Amino acid sequence: MFDLNALLTQKCSTESTLTESMLKQINCQIANQLNTGVLVVDAGFNIVLWNRFLQVHTDNIVDNIIGQSIFSAFPELPERWLSRKLTSVLQLNTPSFCSWEQRHHLFELPHTRPITTDSEFMAQNCTFLPIIIENNSKHICILIEDVTDVCHYQGQLQKALDEVAQLSRIDGLTQIYNRRHWQESLAQEYAKARRHDKKLSLIMLDLDYFKLLNDNYGHQCGDMVLIEVSALISSLLRVEDLFGRYGGEEFAIILPETNLAGAKELAQRICDKIATTLLNYNAEIIKVTVSLGVTQLNGAEANYEELITKADEALYQAKALGRNQVCSAICAKTLVID
Amino acid sequence: MSEFHLTEDQQDCLQELINIAMGQASDQLARYLDTFVYLKVPSIESVAAVELIQTLSQQQNTMAVVSQGFFGYEGIRGEALLMYQEEDSGRIADLLGYEPDELSQDEQLIDISSILTTTFLNVFAGQIDNQMSYNAPKLLPSIQNSISEHLQQMTFNWDLALKVNINYQVTDYSFNCNMILLIPETAIINIKNVLDRILAEF
Amino acid sequence: MSPSVLICDDSNMARKQVLRSLPEQWRTSVQTASNGAEALTILRDNSVEVLFLDLTMPGIDGIGVLQGIQKLNLNCSVFVISADIQPEMQSKVKALGAKEFIRKPVKSDILITHLQQHGLL
Repeated sequence: MFDLNALLTQKCSTESTLTESMLKQINCQIANQLNTGVLVVDAGFNIVLWNRFLQVHTDNIVDNIIGQSIFSAFPELPERWLSRKLTSVLQLNTPSFCSWEQRHHLFELPHTRPITTDSEFMAQNCTFLPIIIENNSKHICILIEDVTDVCHYQGQLQKALDEVAQLSRIDGLTQIYNRRHWQESLAQEYAKARRHDKKLSLIMLDLDYFKLLNDNYGHQCGDMVLIEVSALISSLLRVEDLFGRYGGEEFAIILPETNLAGAKELAQRICDKIATTLLNYNAEIIKVTVSLGVTQLNGAEANYEELITKADEALYQAKALGRNQVCSAICAKTLVID
Repeated sequence: MSEFHLTEDQQDCLQELINIAMGQASDQLARYLDTFVYLKVPSIESVAAVELIQTLSQQQNTMAVVSQGFFGYEGIRGEALLMYQEEDSGRIADLLGYEPDELSQDEQLIDISSILTTTFLNVFAGQIDNQMSYNAPKLLPSIQNSISEHLQQMTFNWDLALKVNINYQVTDYSFNCNMILLIPETAIINIKNVLDRILAEF
Repeated sequence: MSPSVLICDDSNMARKQVLRSLPEQWRTSVQTASNGAEALTILRDNSVEVLFLDLTMPGIDGIGVLQGIQKLNLNCSVFVISADIQPEMQSKVKALGAKEFIRKPVKSDILITHLQQHGLL
């Protein structure tokens, strides 16, 4: 009968006393099976060793890369910038990093998702580590991590986030700004105009007899009118103007760096354009008109909401005077005095 | 006074260690940047988490924040935040010895942050017979309240932070930044143990 | 015979570190100051022979103390012990009359070598 214990002890002791060469083999095999590129250069930036990951990812293999300058082995590297970076590692004895977020890649290596990503080369996170060995000579270990997946998904995520952000600003029916975004924009433009002492005007407008239109032709017709009117107005605006749907059939336009005269002129053009454009719905011709209220920032307002109130009052006045017309906050006031 | 607060002796000891680390780091930086670095003694405060979030969210003109994790033996770990103001960051590429078109503004900030953090913490670690490893530095998203959001979402629980105000003045360049070391609770206890060990030698 | 010694540093630990690095026989006649103003008061009223001086301190700093010593025409050997070790700072303090610039953290053997070099031991 054999002594199991003795055998186990013996086995354990042989396993635990690995020779230095065995440990070296382990380290070497790890380095070669890593899914990370390992490249070591000396203080003159000449290549001392590289692992299998890099060997299999480098297409244009040079016969003997060991001993070559990193810049001749990898001519795609930005030499001046990278030399300075490598110098910081040697001189300060600190690690240095290079992320795909700032530089997509340093080494032009192919990646394993050639079809599903839009980049030809592997996205990389590179780390530069100072290595000091026994004869006090300095080396730099460059680790090259494949982050193509991260980069790809981050790109997708960003696209989705941009879309969500865009959607959250847009009114689904008319494709112009929704009330929330329009109001945020007004708050910003109001603050900007106050700070820089710039002009700012506001137009509020409302479709005339919209309820009647809905009752006579149905809500689908009402929706069509809202869409068409939004498009008509958009075509008359400058890029810097901010056009939004304020409520059901009420719209609002922010006009940066525009005085009251300019705003009134634009409002009149909108009024005329809509009144003279014939809309079609199920072979029927539909005529709509709008009433508009205009105001400008005069510096006496306590907040941007007051601007809305003033424009709204002018709009109410335009309605009271018979619709299909423009009224400004000042003329509204004179009317009251009259 | 919680168990995480430093005693007067511990605070004094830490301040001295940081001064020495700062001095040596500045010397190394001066050689690397090939210019004289005027050094002001960094002020060190230990700040409660809540207070820090409040102070940082009130800083309106912070342009960029770079974060870098560090970890050493004996459970000494944390995160360094480097905070920059708009007017301090105009000539970083120049200072680092790069041509401005060689790297983006973001990369300049990340690069200088990494150099400042690792140079300083390497010397500091050496003082306490330790050795540091580092995460890759990251630029936090540039929304106004990103700092307090970041602090609230951090992976470790921290109660106290070491606020180290570093002020580098470099001849011909104006450069300024604040470094904040966020230390998790357990790591603070570990640091206190290290400080006590050093103090016991006197 | 041990000279009268003043150690000026705002850090308690740093003062202890200097004290511990001094030759054994010197440690009995040591005064300490935690800032520049305090140091100048002691320097003016007593005959301090050897001063170990930190540079970065609140209020009057090490440079201020060196200038004060020159102004008061005091005869005392100053050894600057500082964390700010850039060459420019070293030449600056030497120009202001410091005998030697010693980098922090101070080591006993280095301190003693400097004292011997200047004939104080």
